[in-house]
Amino acid sequence: MAGFLKILFRNLLDGPSTDPYPFGKTFSPESIRGKVKLDPDLCMGCGMCVYSCTAKAINISPLDDGSGYTYTVWRNSCCLCASCRHYCPMGAISIVDDWHLAHDEESKYGLVEHHTIKYEPCANCGAMMRPIPPALAKHLYAQSKDVDPEKIRHLCPKCRQLEDAGNLAKAQTSDAQPAK
Amino acid sequence: MSLDTILKKLSVRSPWLFRINAGSCNGCDVELATTACIPRYDVERFGCRYCGSPRHADIVLITGPLTTKVCDRVLRVWHDIPEPKVTVAVGICPISGGVFREGYSIKGPIDRYIPVDVNVPGCPPRPQAILESVVLARSIWLKKLGLEA
Amino acid sequence: MTDTLLGILHMSIFPGGVFALALGFFFKGLDRRLEARLQRRVGPPLIQPWLDAAKLLTKETMIPKTACRQAFLLAPVFGFTGMAVCAAFIPIAGVYNGLFNMGDLLVIFYLLPIPAMAIMLGGSASSSPFGAIGFSREMLMMLAYETPLLMILLSVAMLVGKGLAGGEWGAEFSLLKIVAWQQENGSLGLNPSMIPAFIAYLIFLPGTMGVPPFDIPEAETEIIEGPLLEYGGPLLALFQITSALKTFVVLGLGVALFFPGVISAWWPINLLWFILKCLVLMVVSLTLVKSATGRFRIDQAFRFYITVPVALALCSLILVWVM
Repeated sequence: MAGFLKILFRNLLDGPSTDPYPFGKTFSPESIRGKVKLDPDLCMGCGMCVYSCTAKAINISPLDDGSGYTYTVWRNSCCLCASCRHYCPMGAISIVDDWHLAHDEESKYGLVEHHTIKYEPCANCGAMMRPIPPALAKHLYAQSKDVDPEKIRHLCPKCRQLEDAGNLAKAQTSDAQPAK
Repeated sequence: MSLDTILKKLSVRSPWLFRINAGSCNGCDVELATTACIPRYDVERFGCRYCGSPRHADIVLITGPLTTKVCDRVLRVWHDIPEPKVTVAVGICPISGGVFREGYSIKGPIDRYIPVDVNVPGCPPRPQAILESVVLARSIWLKKLGLEA
Repeated sequence: MTDTLLGILHMSIFPGGVFALALGFFFKGLDRRLEARLQRRVGPPLIQPWLDAAKLLTKETMIPKTACRQAFLLAPVFGFTGMAVCAAFIPIAGVYNGLFNMGDLLVIFYLLPIPAMAIMLGGSASSSPFGAIGFSREMLMMLAYETPLLMILLSVAMLVGKGLAGGEWGAEFSLLKIVAWQQENGSLGLNPSMIPAFIAYLIFLPGTMGVPPFDIPEAETEIIEGPLLEYGGPLLALFQITSALKTFVVLGLGVALFFPGVISAWWPINLLWFILKCLVLMVVSLTLVKSATGRFRIDQAFRFYITVPVALALCSLILVWVM
C-alpha cells in the first residue's frame, strides 16, 4: 500500500519521461535498422541479395536495350532482416538508421530504393559489361604484381581470360628462357 | 466559422484508436501496446485512447497479412466502424503481404479489400513511427472532413 | 410558478446542467492528466473531455438492426436527465442550498443509480451478447456498492438527527440541515464515529464511477466495453456527459456529507473552496487508486464491496448508536 504510494509520488516529482516526438526530438539507437541503402558503385549485379531476400523485396532486372540493369528494393515489403547485407559479397548494401517511413497511400509504390546501373563497353572488344569495382579489383589482384587492376577491371570476362592467358604464357616463357 | 466547422476542427484532436489483428504474428501488436503503455511514447498526449469497441473508433490500425480465415471477420468489423474513419496499415504484412506474400492462406495485401489511408512499413515499425502515422492520419482525417490541415 | 421556474433553472444552469457539466468535465480532464503524470506520462490536455464530446457529436450514429430501437435511443437520455436533476439537489455550502429541504438525501439515494440503470437498459436493448454480460455485471456491482451507500447515509442521518433532537432518537434526511448542523458542530469527517463511514464512502466512489479496479461492467479488454459496445456518436457523448455529471454529484455529495465547512462570507471563495475539496476527494479516491491498480474479477469486487465498506459503515452505525 505505502509502496505504491511512494512510487506514484516519486513519479509525480520526477516528471514525465515522454519523448516530445513527433513534435520534438527523439533518439535512434546506433544499430537500428531503418532503410536499406545500396551503394551503386559497388554493386556487381550478382543477385545474391535477390536470392537471400526473405520477403522478395529486391528486384534486379536488365534494361530493355541491354545497356545496364535496374536495382530496386521496395521498402513496403522489406522486413529488415538484413540477409542482403550479410550475403552481399561486395558490401554494397547497408541499412541506415532513418526510420521515418510513415506515408500515405498515394506514395505506397513510390517508396523504393531504386538505382539504374549502366554497363560500360569492354576496353578491348567493346562488348557491354559491368566493370569490376576498383576496390574489388585491387583486392583480387593484390598477389599478382604484373597485373594492372585499373586496366583489367575494364575488360569483359572473355577478354580478361585472354589477358590472363597471355600474361601466363609471357611469364612461362620468361621463366623458361634462363634454362636454355 | 460555423459551429459545425468548429466541431469538426476540434474533433481531430480526439482520435480514438482501434486495433484489428488480421492474422498478425503479434510483433506489431506489441509495438501498438507499447505506444500506449510505455511512458516514453505515450500516445494519450494526442488525445488518443485505445477503445475496445469498433463503434467508438476513429483511426483503425490493422496488423497482419489478412489470412483467409480472418478475412470475413476483419471486413465485418471494419464496416462496423462509423464514418469518418482513417485506416492505417501497420507493418509490412498488411501493406504488401511482406514475408507471407503469395502464401496459400493469405488474401492480402489489405488494400485489395479495404481503402487504406496511411502505411507504416517496418517489421515491426518503431513506436515512434507509429506515432508519426497517427499524426499523419489526423491530417488525412481533416481532409476527409472537408477541411485542409 | 416561480418555484417551478427556479427549479428548472437550478437543474439546467446552476448547479445542475451547465455548471455541473463544466465542473465534471474539468474534473475528468484533470483526472486523466494527473493519472498520466503519476505514471510518468504527459497525458492529454485538460480540455480532452470536451474534445472527445465534440468529436462524438460529429460522428455517425449506428443502431443495430436487432436492437430495441426506442429503448436504445432513450437510455442515454434517461441517464442524463436523472443526473441533471440529481445535480440540482447537491448543496454547495455558503453558495447554494439545494433544491428542496425535506428528505432530499433519500431523493439523491434514489436518483444516484439512474446512470447505471441507463447503462443496463442500453446494454440490454443493444441485443449484443457483450451488452448482456455487461448488464449482469453492472447489476451485481450496483447491488454491491448501493448497500454500503445506504448504510453511510443512514449513519450520517442518524448522527445529525440525534444531535438535532438533543440526544433522543431521530434521523435527519435533509441535506441542508445536515450541512447547517455540521457548520455549527464541526465537520462529520473529523468526528471519530464517522471516520469509518467516510472511509467507506471513499471506497464507494471508484465503484460507482466505474473506474479501475472496479470498471468491470465496461471492461474494454474482456467484454469490449460491454453495454456501451453498440453506442457511438452523439449517444455515446451523452453517456460521457452523464458520467461527468455523476462525478460532480458523488464528489459534491461526499463534500456535503463529510466536509461542508465554509471559510468566508463571500460566495465565490466558498465556491472555490468547494471545488478544491471535491478535487482532493477525487484525487484520493479515484485518481490514486486508478493509476496504480488493474481490474478485479466481478466476484472479487462483489465480495470486497459487501464485506469491507459494509463493515466500516456498520461500525459507524454502531458507534452512532452507542455514543
